[in-house]
Amino acid sequence: MDDIVSSEHNGYVLISGSSSGIGQEMAVQMSGRYRLILNGRDAERLEGTRNSCANPSDHYIWRYDLSSVDQLDEQLTSFLSEHGIRVSSFVHCAALLKILPLRSQTLPMVRENMNVNFLSAMEIINVLMKKKVNDRRLQSVVFISSIASKFGAKGFSAYSASKGALDGLMKSLAVELAPKVRLNSILPGGIRTRMTTDIFSSPEMVAKFERDYPLGIGVPQDVINMVEFLISDKSRWITGQQFVVDGGRTTAISA
Amino acid sequence: MCPPSHPLNLLGKHYLITGAASGIGSAVAVLLNRLGASLSLVDRDANGLQETIRLAGAGLSCYQFDLKDIGGIDRLVADIVSKGGRLHGVVHSAGLQSIMPAKALTVEGWREVFAVNTESALALAKAMQSKKVYAGDSGSIVFISSIMALAGSPGATAYSMSKSALHGMARSLALEYASKKIRVNCVAPGFVRTPLFERTEKLWDADQKRAVELQHPLGFGEPEDIANAVAFLLADTGRWITGTVLVVDGGYLAR
Repeated sequence: MDDIVSSEHNGYVLISGSSSGIGQEMAVQMSGRYRLILNGRDAERLEGTRNSCANPSDHYIWRYDLSSVDQLDEQLTSFLSEHGIRVSSFVHCAALLKILPLRSQTLPMVRENMNVNFLSAMEIINVLMKKKVNDRRLQSVVFISSIASKFGAKGFSAYSASKGALDGLMKSLAVELAPKVRLNSILPGGIRTRMTTDIFSSPEMVAKFERDYPLGIGVPQDVINMVEFLISDKSRWITGQQFVVDGGRTTAISA
Repeated sequence: MCPPSHPLNLLGKHYLITGAASGIGSAVAVLLNRLGASLSLVDRDANGLQETIRLAGAGLSCYQFDLKDIGGIDRLVADIVSKGGRLHGVVHSAGLQSIMPAKALTVEGWREVFAVNTESALALAKAMQSKKVYAGDSGSIVFISSIMALAGSPGATAYSMSKSALHGMARSLALEYASKKIRVNCVAPGFVRTPLFERTEKLWDADQKRAVELQHPLGFGEPEDIANAVAFLLADTGRWITGTVLVVDGGYLAR
């Protein structure tokens, strides 16, 4: 039974965006089974996440604000070498979501959105693929994308574009880095997190969600289950795919 | 025995598995048995069913049945329920693979492919909606489709069509069955080493085989790779997933 229960992890799991939302809950849930590197921009909240984890001293904090990628390579490289640790799995949870019509968007806002949601993931993988930095230890990458990568919604243009870019990156790198590294995306529907608090604060929106989601509104655990499957060797033959986890939301509009 | 704390545990659950005499169906039976489920195995090949039981261990029930007999499926299900109790789900793995150019297809030939691959799946899913059959609580139906449902291949016309139809069926059934808490999903495998695959493989020369293998960035898969994905969808880990296709293909469709 052991081979079903556990799988080999001889490196750290880096979780971006682990100071809030799905990333934070993921870190707490997984902390008893994996050694983690918690990334976020707010040192205090990251410390809070770590203190909620099982065995807090097993896990590292890498504070870096992904809204700028210029220093990322240098910072991540020196963080890993300073602590002498290697990353075997990378889960990109960090994301900005500002629901705005096109006319209200500014280029700096869109660039920031692209940096956090997409470019930082590309840059992190680039660093983790360097033999000198990570000793060829990277095995699995999971992007927390969104059903907004495949379907449109008013006010979601920048967010959709960034998630679409992320999924395009995932597919090409899955081909390019096979068979050593596997990459997949999870496309969640509406999940109750800090990022989506605003959406769930209005009763009309909650009513709409309950109508649109055949299995109801999701919780972070629903996504975390899929993350754990995709970084385990139970999914050793899965790469380059987008996995919809949305309680049936897009089933009615999917082609 | 699978511990109740294990996220994939299927203790107390009863599943019907078609095509259980070999290949993916057999691997699914072996894994689900280890996860604590009780199983009723269906196949037209009685000797193969005995072989699966030898691999999986005691406690499994076998039913020799040819799924071409669509009209007999209700009786088969009633028999299974009377002997093994009501069902929590179905894994439809039975499949005929007929690879031939369109000009060689016959009406009888494609109807037979469609009967076994597609219509029997609908008859089984339809049976699940009855309170006499469905155990209630939570249910999960998984159709094993194919990457040929999503990509074309010369000669695969009838097979592709039968497998694509499973995707369409799963989407609408997922919406219809959501209120019963029955989830419906497909797993779409790439080329996996099964007896079916080995028969196809014999039609290729060395160059063709190499070419097909190169289409899978992670190489050919094993039946266990598919079984792991099926278990994930059946267990509580998949509780917010319905109407989707989980592609397990070593990267075939990412290219």
